[in-house]
This record gives sequence, structure tokens and C-alpha cells, in this order.
Amino acid sequence: MGYQENFWVLFSKKLSNEATTDELKELENLIKDNSEWQYAIQNLEDLWKHQPAKDYSHEDDAYMLHIHRMKELGVPFGEMPDNQMPVKSKKKRMLWYSVAAAAMVIAGFFLFGSFSGKNKSNKNQIVREVNEISTRPGSKSRVELPDGSIVWLNAGSKLTYNKDFGKEKREVTLVGEGFFDVTKNKEKPFIISTASINIKVLGTVFNVKAYSEDKQTETSLLHGSIEVTIKSRPNDKIILSPSEKLIVENQITSVVTTGFKRTKENITRTAIPDISTLVSINKLTYNPNDSTVAEAQWINNKLIFRDETFSDLAVQMERWYNVNIEIKNEKVAQQRLNGTLETETITQALDALQETTPFRYEKTGNKVVIH
Amino acid sequence: MNENDEIKRLLSTIAFQNDQAAYKELFILLHKRLKQFGYAILKSNEEAEELVSDIFIKIWEKKEKLVSIESPLLYFYTTAKNLAFNRLQKQKRLKSLNPEEWLMQVNSIPLNPEELMMTAEMLNKIKRAVNELPPRCKLIFKLVKEDGLKYREVAELLQLSVKTVEAQMAIALRRLGRCMHIELKTAANLGFSLKK
Repeated sequence: MGYQENFWVLFSKKLSNEATTDELKELENLIKDNSEWQYAIQNLEDLWKHQPAKDYSHEDDAYMLHIHRMKELGVPFGEMPDNQMPVKSKKKRMLWYSVAAAAMVIAGFFLFGSFSGKNKSNKNQIVREVNEISTRPGSKSRVELPDGSIVWLNAGSKLTYNKDFGKEKREVTLVGEGFFDVTKNKEKPFIISTASINIKVLGTVFNVKAYSEDKQTETSLLHGSIEVTIKSRPNDKIILSPSEKLIVENQITSVVTTGFKRTKENITRTAIPDISTLVSINKLTYNPNDSTVAEAQWINNKLIFRDETFSDLAVQMERWYNVNIEIKNEKVAQQRLNGTLETETITQALDALQETTPFRYEKTGNKVVIH
Repeated sequence: MNENDEIKRLLSTIAFQNDQAAYKELFILLHKRLKQFGYAILKSNEEAEELVSDIFIKIWEKKEKLVSIESPLLYFYTTAKNLAFNRLQKQKRLKSLNPEEWLMQVNSIPLNPEELMMTAEMLNKIKRAVNELPPRCKLIFKLVKEDGLKYREVAELLQLSVKTVEAQMAIALRRLGRCMHIELKTAANLGFSLKK
């Protein structure tokens, strides 16, 4: 490197606070040998250090615009001091009125997930109306809650929440299966009540399977952390870590004994003491090929079963295909199965299952009997 | 306090206490330079403003994860670059992805020559010299001098070697230095070329 190039590298490093002790010494020697550089050096150092007076008034305005934009985009930010509250635009208010009107008229509006109720202005009026979204067997739907959280509802499920959801609390009840992607909000935890458990979350992604006809309630956690309380044991809190699945035995007695013949009529619910509630924590079932989680694949229209008994699978197929399946052969009912159903029809699915498990079936309308 | 430490302190206050005042302080501290950086790439004031807003939405949404960042200033500039690139790609303005195409403004040459011991004529020369720096050189000079990035941070951001950043900084300072030599005739006439 040339003599003067070296000087400029060292000098700019000194100004930028990048020079090592050795480099500073080297620079000092260079300057000492060239006292005529002193004037330029001094000026450049002054110029470098000079900071024009800072004027933050533009930044203040920019911050206000940013906060306003965040609100408009629906990013939860919490309450702002009154003097910072941006003026709600007329256009937006109009939009809200029309949305509210539409919501009253069209009951199924929520299925399209476009309702946004976060700008409600009727502060004093306590509204306790309930929104209810339900899916028929054989169909699924995606719901967007007013706080931006997304819920996919599996077939034959029901999600309810109060009209004032998100105002003070975020509470929903679930019967059936839902895949939740909950928007973060530390001040307002998101609470899901099912028949047997309560789940409290701050913001995370997980699947809850709580069909009333199933013998277990399953909670599968993909990201974040959630706190589960079992209704019959309100003092025990279970914290789930990612990739864990909590299985709670529902208080159903007849299931274990009748096993292969599980129609709704056979299930009796009884108030059983706390001890009978069985809890286990398992690992989620990852698909080794693409590391997707089997428990959540139904949202991609896949019914994945891993090491499940035919009788358990039959219950899922009933919901999936909106059929009624009766297994009359106990050996077949206890047969363990693996597989994925995606685009298959019920007949194709049964034919495929016949290849690994010998059984006969009769299908009449929506009813399937397996021998 | 070192600026990176200051930003780290603000980020952890935001993450642990959900503190909106710290969030605002951080926004005000970084808004102008991030907007200028965004403008350099996007060449639109409106888009640069939105870009800064997008960065801070990200900051708020991911605040829990931001406590462990080693070089927060670099994180902000990298995020700005990535978000700006996303915009360019959507608009199919692929030419602007090249840092040679970025138009960076330099602010801190004082308007009033009396604040420094220099003549107005000399200051004008310096301003002109800064404006006439090659785009990449000017960008690096601004990031180091005004925005407070370290050489290695600039190198990482622009995917250059640290040696290149060193060399570009030397070029910038040398050009500014030339403006002063004219004032000092003997030094200018002798130049550096006579040495060794």
C-alpha cells in the first residue's frame, strides 16, 4: 500500500473509532513526519465531530403517523394515552357501521373471517350477545376473530364467543376440533374452554381436539407455550412446551368396555371424582419426510392417522366424510392402522384399508357397517 | 453510552415491560436515518416512511425475541434492506437491488462556516466533494459517519469485505482532504507525492 493511501486508511479508521492502538501509533508517527498536514487533519477532525443540532419535531409527527398506521393495519398495540389517540377517520367508521349491519343480517358471515369488531365505540353498553360458528360434519372453515387470531374449525365443531370479545377478555368455547393461531397480547390472555379443560395462552399456535363423543381431549402445541387447567382439578396447572401433546381422558365410562361399538347412544357422561381424570403428555407425531405435524394436518385437508385403532379412526372418518360407521367385528375394531387420507372418497378409503386389514363392509347411503 | 448499548437497553425495556415510551424513544432515535437509508434504495419518500413503519411494527410484534441481538443497529439496517428488497421485487425494480444504484444523502456538513474554523468557500468545496463521491463510497461514508455503523457492520450489510469498507472510507476522507490543501498552498503544491 502506498504511503498516502496508508495515511488515509489509518486516519479514517481513527475518526471512525476503528483503529487499534498500534495503528494509532503508526498514524501519529506519520503525522509527526509531515507537520504540513496538520491543518487539513485538524479541519477534518472538526468536521467529523461536528453534529448539527438535532431537531426531532419531524420524528414526533412520523411517530404519530406510524401509530395510526399500526392501528389501521390492526396490529395490537395496547391503549395509548388519550392525547395520542389518532382521530378515527370517517371512512373507517362508515366501514364499521356497514360491517356491523351486515353481521346482523348474515348469520354465517363469520365463516368468511372478515369481520373486525375491534373499533367498537359503545363503551357504556354491555353487550352479552354470543357469536357462534359451527361446521357440519364433512366441512371445515376458517374463522378470523376480532383480535386477528385465526381459528380453523374441523368438521362437526362449534366455536362461540361473546360479542364483546377482545374488549377486556379474549374468551372462546370450543366443542370439536380447532387449530388456533393466537395473536399475541400479554394484557389479554386468550382463554379456550372445552368440556373438560381450560387453556390459557398469550400468543401461540396449537390444535385442540375436544369432540364430545371422543374419549379424550387432545391439546397439541406447535409454538409458544400454553397453560392448561383440567376442569375437574382446578388447582393443577399444566404448562405445555412446544411439540408436546396433552391428552386428557374425558369422563366417559362406557367407552373402554364397549370399545368397538361406539355410537353416541352408548356414551354416558357421569360426574366422576377427580382421580378418574387421566392425564398424559406425549410428543407430537412428526411426519419424517417434511417434518409436518400430523395433529395439525387436517387444516391442509389431510386426515393422518398413526398407530390408531380402527375404532378411533372410524370416529374421525365419520366426521371427515359425514357418515355413520359401525364396526361389528371387535378384532377389526382393535386393529392398529397407519395412513393418510386426502382426496379419497369414503369408498376409496375403505378399499385402501382393506388391503392391510381384512374386513368386509356394506355401505348404504350414509351408513357403513364393517364386519 | 455507546449507541448500540442504548438501543439494547431500549429493546429490553420494550420486551420486558411492554413499554410504549421506550418504543417511542427508539423510533425517534432511528427514524430519520432509517428513512434516509430506505429512501436511498426505494427513491420514494412515501415508501421510505412506510418502510420505517413496517420495521417498527416488526419490532413490536417480535419484541420478545429482540433482547438477544448482538448488533441492534445492524439488525435495523438489515431489516430495512430486506423489507426494501421485498418491495423492489414486488414492483419488479430489480435494478435498484444493486447498491451502486442507491442514492444516499449526507446531512452533517454544517451550513454555517463559523461553527467550524473554515471559510465559506472551503465548506462549499467540501459539500460539493461529498456530493460528488461515487454512490457506493458516499453510502459507506454516511453509514459510518452519520449512522454510527462499525466497518464490519457496513461490510455485512452491503456484503463487502471489511478491507473494501476501509478503502472506501479512505477515498472519501482523501477527497475531503484535497479541499483543504488548496487553502494551504505549500502543502497543496508539494502534495503527498513528493513524500517518499
